[in-house]
Amino acid sequence: MTSIGTGYDLANSIFSPDGRNFQVEYAVKAVENGGTSIGIRCKDGVVLAVEKVVASKLLKQGANKRIATVDRHLGVVYSGMVPDGRHFVDRSRDEALAWRDTFKTPIPTADLASRMGGYMQAYTLYQSVRPFGITAIVGGFDSELELPVDGEVGSGPAVGAGGKTAGKKHGGPFLYMIEPSGLYWGYYGAAAGKGRQVAKAELEKLDLGGAGELSLEQAVKEAARIIYLSHDDVKDKKFELEMSWISGADGPTKGKHQEVPKALREEAEKEAERLAKKAVEGDDDDDDDDDSDDDKKDGDKMEE
Amino acid sequence: MEFGNSGSLSEDGIHLDMDRLKKGEVNLGTSIMAVTFKDGVILGADSRTTTGAYIANRVTDKLTRVHDTIWCCRSGSAADTQAVADIVQYQLGMFAMTNGKPPTTQTAAAIFQEICYANKDRLSAGLIIAGWDERHGGQVYSIPLGGSLHKQTYAIGGSGSTYIYGYCDTHWQEGMEEKEAVEFVKEALKEAIKWDGSSGGVIRMVVLTAKGADRHLYLPDTDYKVRHST
Amino acid sequence: MDHRPQAWGRPRDDIYGAYDGSYLQTTGPKQNTQAPVVTGTSVVALKFKDGVVIAADNLASYGSLARFTDVKRLRVFLDTSVVGFGGDVSDMQYLDRHLNELAIDESYETDPSAPDAGALNAANLHKYLQKLMYKRRNDFDPLWNQILVAGLDSGSKPFLASVDLRGTAFSSPSLASGFGAALAQPIMRKYAATEEDAAKLSREDAVKVVQECMKVLYYRDARSMDKYSIAVVTKEGVELKEDEQLEKQSWAFAERIRGYGTQTV
Repeated sequence: MTSIGTGYDLANSIFSPDGRNFQVEYAVKAVENGGTSIGIRCKDGVVLAVEKVVASKLLKQGANKRIATVDRHLGVVYSGMVPDGRHFVDRSRDEALAWRDTFKTPIPTADLASRMGGYMQAYTLYQSVRPFGITAIVGGFDSELELPVDGEVGSGPAVGAGGKTAGKKHGGPFLYMIEPSGLYWGYYGAAAGKGRQVAKAELEKLDLGGAGELSLEQAVKEAARIIYLSHDDVKDKKFELEMSWISGADGPTKGKHQEVPKALREEAEKEAERLAKKAVEGDDDDDDDDDSDDDKKDGDKMEE
Repeated sequence: MEFGNSGSLSEDGIHLDMDRLKKGEVNLGTSIMAVTFKDGVILGADSRTTTGAYIANRVTDKLTRVHDTIWCCRSGSAADTQAVADIVQYQLGMFAMTNGKPPTTQTAAAIFQEICYANKDRLSAGLIIAGWDERHGGQVYSIPLGGSLHKQTYAIGGSGSTYIYGYCDTHWQEGMEEKEAVEFVKEALKEAIKWDGSSGGVIRMVVLTAKGADRHLYLPDTDYKVRHST
Repeated sequence: MDHRPQAWGRPRDDIYGAYDGSYLQTTGPKQNTQAPVVTGTSVVALKFKDGVVIAADNLASYGSLARFTDVKRLRVFLDTSVVGFGGDVSDMQYLDRHLNELAIDESYETDPSAPDAGALNAANLHKYLQKLMYKRRNDFDPLWNQILVAGLDSGSKPFLASVDLRGTAFSSPSLASGFGAALAQPIMRKYAATEEDAAKLSREDAVKVVQECMKVLYYRDARSMDKYSIAVVTKEGVELKEDEQLEKQSWAFAERIRGYGTQTV
């Protein structure tokens, strides 16, 4: 370990003289040990994926889901301490529900991210609590259609409402990542956990962003490939791939956050496994395999 | 409820009976309406406020701003509807500041409805919410007495509205030009004022479009012909 | 007006009579039992071989005023059940939002193919609504509705049951609320008096019977209209049509009606 707190790491809400909150930094370490999770925002939706580390052979396959639905159109995945993540999900659901109760409409992804960012930040302020040991990735699809009031009856003019500002787009896919400090940004591709270096490098190669042409189905395949690639077969424990997606109202999930159908996932997984194997074999040709782990660790320090 | 026994004894020994107090309350025995048109919405209202047969105010403004381009027409108890409108104006102001974007008409309608529904046994408020926003254009919502919420192409309300259901139904057209829509509102309210003793005075209108809020005023002594704009 | 501030806000003795001190002793019960304001009329439903047909017109009345003519009173729950509402529209909207939240709770299970996904069937939903309605009536704050729940039970058999503002619930091969209980039920019972009868009824016949009921209700219920919604619930899901028009009405016989007794011209 390069830095030691020298007493400034014993509690939250105490800065070190050089302006660091060590508890938050240790929380980041907890995330770095967790299974890799990623999110991809493409032109017609969002994909979330996680490398679910199988802690024991006695656990039921496919059970103990790691990706959670927060509202119909919102999903969350996280890396780090699972109980912390579960609490994060519970709180997110409460926030989404509270928004619905007051405004009678689904919470926009940006507003959920903002509220949860604020919530996580609060856990860096007080002696009595510790920061969240997770980095959470929040994906959502805000409806592009007109938003009714929940429960309303009746309808507007058959010719459509008059006076809309033409040419403006509303809603769409959104992706946010929230770190233990409470810091959050919007992303086209986000990665957290053990394999985030590899994952980020791969995400950067994808055609995302403003004019990105990657389709939702391609994004699912890319997500699977990236999780498999970031997984270290030699060093890491076995894992299950868990994936969910959200499309617009006219897409495959009809605006809802859902688990990627088994058939599609398995297809993506098969291809991902093949590509990952090929990549590993390629690596072996190039350099000494034993050192690669250490290299990765150094890279970690540079990044965070 | 006619002769309820609710009430409390205040310090000076005066007993206040809420139910009886309500009887003398200022009432907006009203004609109000809001219509959608090609570029947005128009709200319209008469200006008479009565206490029984006495006209407490002959130049009332029943068109109330709750946000820049979201307004409401108030009918029922003046006190109740003002209190509700004040709360919603505050909430929408907060919404705009905290979210960095103006609220939609739906947001306003949702907040109005929750207040009217949760307090249905205490309020006598019949509201029409009309607003313009860049995403949804012009929209009209009606919240009648029980606190239900109805999306409509146009809405009429208040005691005077019962006299103009027929007029409005036969003369209504979707997607009118602004001029036509103003005429529709004016003619309808003229009928309501003519037949309803609890409606009268001037005709006020507010036009809400991308350009913002535009007030109209028409006076009875010129047969509501001239626009006295403000 | 009495200009002494002490008298302000106080009922005038010359109008209301001297103050009755007995009012001070009695602390009356808290009253929040409202009355319905904007209301929907009947809902009718009939079981058949593979499911349930349910219908309600699109009118919301304000007393005798036909105030809103585009109010859809059939609500789909989780793509597997249909809830039909009669009575107060604001309470219907409250319940609709409440059920929406319940459905979101259900969607927390992300895998739609999981064996227990979508486990909340119509029978569960009806039981839930019964408890809710009964609780509210015990709070002396009832939800002023009569509700029909149509769908399938845990054994994938057609399910149909009702619950009202008191939390009273029952089930039958055919059900109708409001005026329909008097006018539609006798018609439906001709075709499905028992569960066995209903199990023989085809979908087409069931739809036809329900449409006939809607027509009779339109003839005889002064708070009804000729535009209605109809839904068919089966194992395949829910088919909901919300802008149906009553067809083949019978009015022409009015021509033969002259006077009110002996008159013939």
